[in-house]
Amino acid sequence: MQIYLPIAEMSVDGLSIVGIGLAVGLLSGLFGIGGGFLMTPLLIFIGLPSAVAVATSANQTMGASISGLIAHWRRGNVDGKMGMVLTLAGLAGSALGVQVFALVRRVGQLDLVVAVFYVIVLGIVGALMAAESVRAWLRRRRKIPRRLHEHFWMHGLPVKMRFRKSRLYISVVPPVVIGFGIGFLSAIMGVGGGFILVPAMIYLLGMPTGVVIGTSLFQVVFVTAAVTVLQSVSTQSVDIILSLLLMVGAVAGAQFGAAMGSRLRGEETRGLLGLLVLAVAMGLGYTLVRTPDAPFVLEPLR
Amino acid sequence: MRRLLLSLLLLLVAAPAARALVAEVSQREIAVSTGFTGAELIVYGAKDTIPADVVITVRGPHTPVVVRQRTRIAGIWVNGASAVFETAPGFYAVASTRPLAELLPEAERRRLRLGLDMLPLRANEPRPGDGFRQALIALKVERGLYREENSGVTVTGERLFSARIFLPPTVPPGLYQVDVFGIQNRRVEAVRDLTFAVRRVGTSAEIWRFAHVHPWLYGVGAVIAAAVVGWAGSVVFRRG
Repeated sequence: MQIYLPIAEMSVDGLSIVGIGLAVGLLSGLFGIGGGFLMTPLLIFIGLPSAVAVATSANQTMGASISGLIAHWRRGNVDGKMGMVLTLAGLAGSALGVQVFALVRRVGQLDLVVAVFYVIVLGIVGALMAAESVRAWLRRRRKIPRRLHEHFWMHGLPVKMRFRKSRLYISVVPPVVIGFGIGFLSAIMGVGGGFILVPAMIYLLGMPTGVVIGTSLFQVVFVTAAVTVLQSVSTQSVDIILSLLLMVGAVAGAQFGAAMGSRLRGEETRGLLGLLVLAVAMGLGYTLVRTPDAPFVLEPLR
Repeated sequence: MRRLLLSLLLLLVAAPAARALVAEVSQREIAVSTGFTGAELIVYGAKDTIPADVVITVRGPHTPVVVRQRTRIAGIWVNGASAVFETAPGFYAVASTRPLAELLPEAERRRLRLGLDMLPLRANEPRPGDGFRQALIALKVERGLYREENSGVTVTGERLFSARIFLPPTVPPGLYQVDVFGIQNRRVEAVRDLTFAVRRVGTSAEIWRFAHVHPWLYGVGAVIAAAVVGWAGSVVFRRG
């Protein structure tokens, strides 16, 4: 079924778009992530312009994360104060990111910049995840006890703040830096950033695992919402039809994925997720070094 | 098809003897809607000059493009030198009864801009090599936006002619110019020009316009739509 996408200005097969949504939704339900980092590369692979892929993926991630946020909010798993700090910093980061995105697009290097960001960020995160799951698996075998949370030098920075729900009294600087960085990446890569935010909250901020997912969803929903609006204003590349088609598949897929995920052990899931993230990084890395099909590319002038 | 034949007959009857050439297009307006998968335009007509060849050109509105050359830097392919073509037609098709080079001298083809090699594609400063022009044509041909068909015009009974011009889903909207040339003894004997419009209509056109005229509202709308669908989806699946 051919559907014309009004913003991408091209026809696509509607069923294959719903299929992509379903597949990404399945994996995001399985691993408890938004799935933006899978969605954007898949959309680029099927021939959508990078700008539309990134901006629409952010919009889609927002829709996919909202039901999770509502569920966690009801159960009281959201640290509202930490969420606000992360979100405010994230809004600033995404505002900068959208400006950089528009600039890079004007000079014709958007495809390159998006791919490079993906390779570097996913490469690092994937490697860390894989390594961590191996370490966790070894730890379980050797029965090494873990402390509640460790204190780093960065927690002692000035402007201390009490985060009651996270049982933390730390400097506001680390959450601001993390939130800003995630907001920036969200604008450039079209991701929610949960796959970076969750480990950062556990290992860098030392937040208790119970509130990590809910609080990260809080930040993801508001920052991707802001990215959607800012991308609409500065690049006009959010395709609402594409976003809705993806969401139809993703919402359904996430339910099946979540059911499957409950049968897997934590470190197994994280290890698999790490491998998946690495695979996406390598796939995009290959497109950077592969000899292109044509020695020239054509782009509309803006 | 019957309607087409009927209008052809009418054209023939109505054509005064002085007119050597009459022509018409099958549609004066092509609507690009949500389900648009391309359209076929039929240019048809009749000529008095026998024997004579026919050349038909269809030219779309100017759509400025950038051609970028891929270059390798430290093993990574990046976009290098670029050339801007401000006046490149968004669509160009030429159909004829025989190869254009056989029909008209080069100077005449250049004057009338007949053929892909005669398209007046000039890049802005700085002047790049001819490779960019060739690349622009090749990439447009690949997308079905530029076409040259040496036997695209069919002649029936020496007087009636027709050509089918396919407009791919990516045709730019705007006013299109159709020129029909009757050619005899390497000279243009008769010319007819027609126009038709390609318009975005329906929901997709409304969405595009709204996104460009009210970007703030569009962005907020996209957020609300995503929130509603995401929330509704979870409600449906929780019960099901």
